[in-house]
Amino acid sequence: MTTSTPAIEDARGQGTGSWLRDNRTLLLLLPTLGLFLAFLLFPYLNMIVMSFRNPSTSQVFAPGYTVFNYFDAIFDEDLYYLEILWDTMVFGVGTTFLCLIIGYPVAYHLARTKSRFQNLLYAFVLSPLLVGVVVRCYGWIIILANQDGLINSTLRKYGIIESFIPLMYNTFGVGLGLVHIFLPFMILPLLGAIQSIDPALEEASQSLGASRTKTMIRVVFPLSLPGVQAGTVLVFVLTISSYVIPILLGGLNVMIMPTLVVQQLLDAMLWPFGAALAFILSVTGGLAVYFYLKFTSHFMKGIA
Amino acid sequence: MTAAVPRIRLGRVVYLGFITLVYVFLLMPLVIVVLASFNSGEFLTFPPEGFSLRWYVSFFDSESFMGSLFYSLKVAIVCTFFSTILGTTVALYVVRFSGRWREHLRLLILLPLLLPEILTAIALLFFYYNFDATMRALGLDMFVGLFRNSMVGLLIGHILITLPFVFLGISSSLYNFDMALEEAARSLGAGRFTTFRRVTLPIIKPGIIAGALLCFIISFDLFSISLLLKGIGVATLPIQLFDYVRWDYDPTAAAVATVSILITLMAIALTEKLVGLRSLRF
Repeated sequence: MTTSTPAIEDARGQGTGSWLRDNRTLLLLLPTLGLFLAFLLFPYLNMIVMSFRNPSTSQVFAPGYTVFNYFDAIFDEDLYYLEILWDTMVFGVGTTFLCLIIGYPVAYHLARTKSRFQNLLYAFVLSPLLVGVVVRCYGWIIILANQDGLINSTLRKYGIIESFIPLMYNTFGVGLGLVHIFLPFMILPLLGAIQSIDPALEEASQSLGASRTKTMIRVVFPLSLPGVQAGTVLVFVLTISSYVIPILLGGLNVMIMPTLVVQQLLDAMLWPFGAALAFILSVTGGLAVYFYLKFTSHFMKGIA
Repeated sequence: MTAAVPRIRLGRVVYLGFITLVYVFLLMPLVIVVLASFNSGEFLTFPPEGFSLRWYVSFFDSESFMGSLFYSLKVAIVCTFFSTILGTTVALYVVRFSGRWREHLRLLILLPLLLPEILTAIALLFFYYNFDATMRALGLDMFVGLFRNSMVGLLIGHILITLPFVFLGISSSLYNFDMALEEAARSLGAGRFTTFRRVTLPIIKPGIIAGALLCFIISFDLFSISLLLKGIGVATLPIQLFDYVRWDYDPTAAAVATVSILITLMAIALTEKLVGLRSLRF
């Protein structure tokens, strides 16, 4: 970085003299900036507007504006929508927690191993991430399916069970799928954080008499907190906005917000209400992440 | 001290055993899909019934699956082309010329990664609909359906999602760039463009290649965006597969999934061979 700073200033110094050269470098930016303004920022603003539109039975929305989309969702008599929101958050926190306790030892091992298979193990962590989510869910369907899944049919073949164990179309199946699919998103940030900790610190701690466990708890874990923070936020956000996994492994028995939103949009054709639900989910998720970040940053003073 | 040795060994066995189990857990569904695709029976049991290629025959005979496979490849290739060019140019701008706007621009370009994909898909769906309505109201009928009834709308979604990955890879290789190399080229008389072509480009090439291949893989597997933005009557491979496995457990889907895994593996192997897997950045 230090070597590049004067050069950047040099390049910019030349630029301020001539408008032409400034405009030439802007050509690098403008296509992407235009794309992002027109097809990302504007559509999101448009979606906020949509959530205040009047509902319609014949079209996707009617002229005029209302706040009742939000009222209907929040003050529903049976608390139907708030309950689904709560379930969504529970899935988010649960998946995040499980991914953290399963992913941490794996990330630590991968960061510190001197095995010549390290690259292969890294590829193992990475490859599920790169295979499409539908394919991975389908793999779980073959294994878990209630009637003829690999587990149930094998157990039945050997007479261990008579009918079947419900492994899918319930919370268990969805939870398993979520943990499996988002685990790499936890391991990778943890890996980066642990790799940046100097192993000499662990040796120092142990040579001063701390046990392995104590070294892990008092030295390694606190220093890896930035990775923990990044990984947990990533997995939480991905979980509360996941659509494919709950649908394929939960069917309609497990209803969480993204499923509900897509149902409102594509099946019920209630776009304003769907948009309002999507915003309630985003605001809740956003607030949860915000307070979590504030809370965890408190423990991270002095690291990185 | 001697008493502690067996205890540590036991702990180590448990630790390594646990890690092995997690790797098995991570890879199991992929292995199972491949096994099921070669299994002769309708359902996979343990031990498998026998070897057969019938599900591949059924896949290659299926017009809807083959059509969506080629459509997906087409979308992924076009998306990679545009994302790589846009990602490279914008990374150059942000790292070299953006000055005090650098952090704002970085955040804007990374936004599709930070926002839930399904939400971006919904926002684009509304936007395309409103675009059509506005065009109709203005009497510009030739623009109606520009995004909804063609590959363009879907492609824009794919480009938005994949561009941050290309950007991350290339901007990090630009940050590690030794500017003295460019200055040397310039002081030896090379023009701006020659310097870029002969000095800068070769050095950031690994970042570009890794970004492009990652972009291809992500676009090929993208689901939510495609679900909401695909035109009428067409489907990408993940969508076709999704529709199929929701109602049918027929292992034809396993053959499709295996081919899809194979395409991804080829892209990963190519990345590893050309630039090393570690150049992939998330």
